[in-house]
Amino acid sequence: MARYGMALNYNNCINCKACESACKEENGVLLLPDHYRIWVGIKEAEGQFPNISIASQTYQPSQCQQCDNAPCQQVCPTNATYYSKEGVVMVDPTKCILCTYCINACPYDARYVDNRTNTVDKCTFCSDSRLANGETTTACQATCPTKVRVFGDLDDPNSEISQLLVNKEYRQVKSHLGTKPKLFYIL
Amino acid sequence: MKVEISRRRFLQGSVAMSIAGGVSLGSSSMMASAASPAKKVGNEDKKIATLCEMCVNKCAAIAHVRNGVISKLDPNPLFPKSRNMLCPRGNSGIQAVYDPDRLKYPLIRDGEKGSGKFRRVSWDEAYAYINEKLTKILDEEKDNRSTVAFCAGEGMAEHTFHSFFTMFGSAHFLNHASLCLATTVSGYSLTIGGYGQADLDNAKYVIMAGANRAEAIVTPDTMDFFKRTKGRGAKLITVDPRFTNTAAKSDKWLAVNVGTDLAFVLALTYVAIKEEIYNKAFVENYFNGFDEYKNHILSNNYTPEWAEKITGIKAKDMYEVAREFMANAPQAIYYQGRRTTWSKNDFQLRRAQAIFSALGGGVDVKGGICFGKSLPLVEHEIPSPMYAQAKPRIEKDEAAVVGGTGSWVAFRNMVLEKRSPYPIRALFNYKHNPMQNMPNNAKTAEFLKNLDLVVTIDTMPSDTVMLSDVILPECTYLERTDPVVSFGGIEPSIAQRNKVIDPMFESKPVMEIMRGLSAKLSKPLFEITKKYDEDVQSAIEDDSEEKVYADFDMTKPFEFDQEELNVHAVEKYEGAAEMLKEKGVFYPHINEYFKKTGVNDYEYYPEAQRAYSVRNTKFATPSGKIECAVPALAKKGIDAMPEWKKEYEMAVPAGKFRFVTGRHAQFTQSGTSNNRMLLNLVPENFAWINKRTAEKMGIKFGDTIEVASKVGKTTIKAYPTEKIGPDTLFFIHGFGNYSEALTLAHQNGGNDAAIIEDSIEPMHGASCLHDTIVEIRKV
Repeated sequence: MARYGMALNYNNCINCKACESACKEENGVLLLPDHYRIWVGIKEAEGQFPNISIASQTYQPSQCQQCDNAPCQQVCPTNATYYSKEGVVMVDPTKCILCTYCINACPYDARYVDNRTNTVDKCTFCSDSRLANGETTTACQATCPTKVRVFGDLDDPNSEISQLLVNKEYRQVKSHLGTKPKLFYIL
Repeated sequence: MKVEISRRRFLQGSVAMSIAGGVSLGSSSMMASAASPAKKVGNEDKKIATLCEMCVNKCAAIAHVRNGVISKLDPNPLFPKSRNMLCPRGNSGIQAVYDPDRLKYPLIRDGEKGSGKFRRVSWDEAYAYINEKLTKILDEEKDNRSTVAFCAGEGMAEHTFHSFFTMFGSAHFLNHASLCLATTVSGYSLTIGGYGQADLDNAKYVIMAGANRAEAIVTPDTMDFFKRTKGRGAKLITVDPRFTNTAAKSDKWLAVNVGTDLAFVLALTYVAIKEEIYNKAFVENYFNGFDEYKNHILSNNYTPEWAEKITGIKAKDMYEVAREFMANAPQAIYYQGRRTTWSKNDFQLRRAQAIFSALGGGVDVKGGICFGKSLPLVEHEIPSPMYAQAKPRIEKDEAAVVGGTGSWVAFRNMVLEKRSPYPIRALFNYKHNPMQNMPNNAKTAEFLKNLDLVVTIDTMPSDTVMLSDVILPECTYLERTDPVVSFGGIEPSIAQRNKVIDPMFESKPVMEIMRGLSAKLSKPLFEITKKYDEDVQSAIEDDSEEKVYADFDMTKPFEFDQEELNVHAVEKYEGAAEMLKEKGVFYPHINEYFKKTGVNDYEYYPEAQRAYSVRNTKFATPSGKIECAVPALAKKGIDAMPEWKKEYEMAVPAGKFRFVTGRHAQFTQSGTSNNRMLLNLVPENFAWINKRTAEKMGIKFGDTIEVASKVGKTTIKAYPTEKIGPDTLFFIHGFGNYSEALTLAHQNGGNDAAIIEDSIEPMHGASCLHDTIVEIRKV
């Protein structure tokens, strides 16, 4: 069984938001404010014109970190949040009672109330859409102009993501919390 | 005395068609249609290869259709130009198809112009109305076909509309070129023999001045380049009055004073020549007039110290950039740019850029500006008629070289100012929005209102549509098959936009609209020609009317089905027609060359097959060399060599701002302004104003401000930031639409067409987009 993760060459990101639009079309996310599964975190430039620190402006594409030790799963009173066989953090819409504990528990702000499914929804690595249809890429990965994302099987030592993580330095977000995120930002 | 004349004398040119004349259905397409399965009812799921039209790039997409509804657009990895991606606009194409505000039926104005009142009519009623108006106009104007003008936005079906224009016989075709890239295309072409393709996959050093490839996406440039910036193979110098996303990806950002780029390039050139760090072998072999140019640069003392005062860029930065550029050359590029006409000196700026780039030898070489190869299509031409009464283009003398796409601003202003030698009475408009795309929209509105007939073909009720008399609804790009197109370049290919779903409502592809309209107009308009054209009259006496009419038959370019035309256009490439229909993309040896090299990556051509160098040491210029001087233009008042003039220095009065406009990745001008997805990503445009200046004026983020120039005003919310200088104001183009029929775009954000002054530059009469001074106040 695969264990899915994602590496992000985030230095490639130009903040075009193709990933966000592809995700919404793929997964039927309503076009409403605060409805998004993925986003680009922007750190605005520092300095005064014309002495702007170029390095200070960065773009960090982000989404659910697919924690191996997910706080949102731990607090869910109805077990609506669960792990798929591939280690993806999923939501069962038939069990979710919209209590929003998960929103408070998630240190990555990755969950939102979806008015269409009436769940506290999140990124599922396109498990219900693309992967279920036999695709091997997520929508955000496939559409990206500068190819930020590499999605794949962390348990397969020959997969591109495994090779990247062996050969490149990377960081994980808030890993000190013990969440064991499966998103890896390539430095 | 009668003179023997041949019917051929009426033929002044031709209409290019992608078909062999008179060829009947080919066996290949008959096989294809016989093999296609009968339509299933119920859970029908299909994938169709098509091409995007949300902007000009034409990226390859695969449309997923479920039960007749387009459910998703995915990138098509087969296309070398778009490199397996779709940007946010590409993904949002679905919302363009299913936009509830779309034009659904033919409409005829039913109230004052601009009242927004229209009545629904049938296609035939619309054609009949146009016929009635046109025959009256042409009768009154004694068959001067040029009294009817044609304009079009960029797109794969523009060709079809242009055929209609050619058969009609007017001198006036206008498109986006004079509002966009006319100066940069000719600047590079006249200097190095082509606009070329910057090889950003291999360049080691790139100067992007004004061009903003991290936001204004161009394929494959954006795709190739930003994987290599930030210490990963390519050094990037961004020259821009704003700190853009591109600046954030660069090694150095130089905040240039608006409109002074030419002084910057001249100073770089000075350093390269003075320090003799240019590519001497290349200059020796391939430059024409270098000594003259050298003398011009040195004797004018275009030093970095001189340029510092004009550009605001430090002299030491210019020394460094010039030296680093030449050290990396020939894998060094002064990037050409696209929507470029900023100031009066723009043509000279582009010439200076091209010469500076060539001084490093980075032309027609890997990592430089390449010209690439093309894959020719089978073009068949049908002759177009000559109308003796059609008069020449009215604005032909308003600039040094007014080409086949005209000078929009000069044309409009001559008509308005009654300087036209004959009246302009009607306008046919395809997918073009002059109300938004041309500076000084108050003049555009008056121009449109004064015309007797404005016919607009479009998908959305734009500001221009609202000022039209007849509206013909085009289907969107996902509802039609367009002419097959060959994309030249380092990795050339042929791609085809295939119809994904049938046209919705009563909308039609342009091909069908032109077919219907020309069938209605052709004979009645020929009657007018017969009445006023003595050549035609005597020809009819000599020959039969039927034979003479055959030359004037406007329906000829539209007789064939587009899919059938496409099959014939690629008939010399074995298997191409089938592959274009199935996969959307073809190039010779595609099955052998195309390889998947990673989860995201593909190889299109092996290295040895890429067309980096094609010129064989001879450039496509008059002398076959890089042209330092263009003396032929001097006779027309255009300097033979780029020079800086005092008049280019435009002081910004205290308390005012110089206005600049631009684009970003989420919208394409006004064409996407009503798109729900894109508005979800970026709800409106904001005016960038320097933070400290805003503080002094008491303007905070989100405050509504009025931006006013000599020609108009608009309101917009403020975005105070240090990413722009204290005397510059910026906002994205395409917002602030007036049309109430655009539910989401109506009065959403600021409209730059309302405030930009309508001055033109002297080379092509292209409009200067960055020469406007504005003032602002909080409202």
